[in-house]
Amino acid sequence: MLKGTGLVLGGLAVPGVLESCLTSTSSTSSGTIKIGYISPITGPASGFGEPDAYAISLARKALKDGLSIGGTNYSVEIVNRDGQSTPSVGSQQANDLISSQKVDLMLTTSTPETVNPVSDACEAAGVPCISTVVPWEAWFLGRGGKPGQPSPFKSTFHYCFGVEQFFLAYTHLWPQVPTNNKVGVMYPNDADGNAIRAVLAPLLKTAGYTIVDPGPYEDGTNDYTTQIQKFIAQDCQIFNTFPIPPDFATFWRQASSLGYTKHVKIGQIAKTGLFPSQVSSLGSIGNGLASGVYWAPTWPYKSSLTGVTSKQLGDGYESSTGKQWNQQLGASLSLFDVAAAVLKASGNPKDKSKVIGAMATLTVETPVGKLDWSKPVSLAGMAVPNVVSTPIIGGQWKEGVSKWPIDFVICENAADPNVPIASTLKPYTG
Amino acid sequence: MTLLNAALQGIFLGAFYAVLACGLSIMFGVMRIINLAHGDIAVFGAYVMFVIVEHTGVSAFIAFAAALPVMVVLGYVLQLTVLERSLKSGILTPLLATFGLSIVIQNLLQLAFSPDVRSLGGSAGAVTTGSWQVTSGLSVSALGLVVLVVAVLVFGALQLFLSRTRMGWMMRATAEDADAAELVGIDSRGVYAWATAFAVAIAALGGLFLAIRSVFDPVSGPTQLIFAFEAVVIGGMGSLWGTLVGGIALGVAQTLGAQIHPQFAVMAGHLLFLVVLIARYGGGRDFLPRARRLLLARAGR
Repeated sequence: MLKGTGLVLGGLAVPGVLESCLTSTSSTSSGTIKIGYISPITGPASGFGEPDAYAISLARKALKDGLSIGGTNYSVEIVNRDGQSTPSVGSQQANDLISSQKVDLMLTTSTPETVNPVSDACEAAGVPCISTVVPWEAWFLGRGGKPGQPSPFKSTFHYCFGVEQFFLAYTHLWPQVPTNNKVGVMYPNDADGNAIRAVLAPLLKTAGYTIVDPGPYEDGTNDYTTQIQKFIAQDCQIFNTFPIPPDFATFWRQASSLGYTKHVKIGQIAKTGLFPSQVSSLGSIGNGLASGVYWAPTWPYKSSLTGVTSKQLGDGYESSTGKQWNQQLGASLSLFDVAAAVLKASGNPKDKSKVIGAMATLTVETPVGKLDWSKPVSLAGMAVPNVVSTPIIGGQWKEGVSKWPIDFVICENAADPNVPIASTLKPYTG
Repeated sequence: MTLLNAALQGIFLGAFYAVLACGLSIMFGVMRIINLAHGDIAVFGAYVMFVIVEHTGVSAFIAFAAALPVMVVLGYVLQLTVLERSLKSGILTPLLATFGLSIVIQNLLQLAFSPDVRSLGGSAGAVTTGSWQVTSGLSVSALGLVVLVVAVLVFGALQLFLSRTRMGWMMRATAEDADAAELVGIDSRGVYAWATAFAVAIAALGGLFLAIRSVFDPVSGPTQLIFAFEAVVIGGMGSLWGTLVGGIALGVAQTLGAQIHPQFAVMAGHLLFLVVLIARYGGGRDFLPRARRLLLARAGR
């Protein structure tokens, strides 16, 4: 209830000031391909949109001479829009790109609030759409896909990590520090929290962990005394949560003041703690928190469209913006790799059915890994042909490992053994 | 003991809500303006303090003292340039003006500071994580106590100001009837400008506590505004001590609600707000009999 209000107010309050780079050509000539790109640039999820400007600039540079497809050279135009972290705006922007900009292909990323409505609009209009950075269960089930039934989606495609990758990361990370295997969990009453409670918690139980769950709470809660007392009483030495960032900051500070953090040996956070500022802003109690990444500059893959390696991507972003790398950078750029690959594979990028058809067997190298839609994920024994899973790699935020105040140290690689491990997990001592 | 502890934490939380709500209450009490940008002004204050801390390395509390004059001037100018004009054209215009102001502040902050989250928790010292264990189940956090003491001091000082000083009398007179106050020579323009200046300065105090308790970003304002509104309404629109009591009642309702079930925490606060709203503005004691008559009439048809 509260989150809804916050999002509506926040959404209304940011009418696209940063809607940059919108070109004025409104009609599409046969020799031009238009790619729509929608991500949250303003609003509560705007942290995800931050590296987009840099990723798009790399893609524009690589596409400035156009794409040669089936003997014809097409010029390529990227039209990017701000989804404002609000479903209604995402949907409206998608419909506008589809009907007035007549985009040939849609790309969208970061959180269900932006990606799901954009995917729905494209599905309804039959426009091919490629998306990432929403746990794939939330994308598939959240839009009405049913476990064990054929995928209802024809023109929308997705690649991202899912619950299985979190499970892999956690069960390879947690044994590195001796604990009593008791996990205190804070899963909120929202789409992500409920999915994690329903799917991940039972998996962790079968792996030998005891789950102490005080029950769902509402996003925006300002006091966590009840939960903290329970975790202290049960001596939960592992802590796991999927909250919105301000809620975790409130919780962790209160947990520190009430003495719970002295019990914690592993503080495993997800959904918050993706970006350095979310951890470094906590001060000393942020040092040593465990998290997961979907891309880092040490990933051994390169962008097939731009030829940029993961390391060059991280370094280039840091030197051009003066800001520390963050994991969304690799994911945002990877969308353009997939886009260029599928347009080429289609033979005729202006024919939407050809583009959609080419997705079914597409393989492409991107900074986040090699994606192969001929090997889709499956759910309840039924393949979901639209979706490819990508890894989550576990690690720990540590102070003083690089020139930045805090940096992410990779401690396991179960979901993708090609990613180099830098260290082992150390107990939380904050 | 757990209930007692929950109630105690609720009082601390409620004091935080009361500080956030204080400026809202002043502006409504004196000018009948519902300031939809109040939460954003609090966050703006937090950014001012953040900049001071970043550049000088001082404690967050010293940064607040340094930010205070900035906020007072900002409030004064805000009243004279924006709110005064909107007040002249009916009750709806100030509401729209502050709504617009909220959009402007959020976007300016995002342009200037990026969407990264910030906090003043690290620069506020040991007070943010310190606590006293009274008994095994009862603990008093240092930060909670600081917020409560400051809240009581702020409301007490405002009460003294309104009842003992000449400016306070003028403010109360203007709040009662601005035209009549003008007749006896009170400059209502100046009074309004000072009221907004106080409200903005106290909003910055709310911003300080928000920034220490948690993290903030350019769009954090509206989320907290809803609790501040509820505190003002529960305590009675325009009543100063009522706002303190209302904030604490809201905080206690939330922490006691969490004892029933964590999911019930925020809801319990909203329920209290609804009950008070119906009791006070929805016909009071008359409400239940009237509802019954209505139902009976429907059933009879």
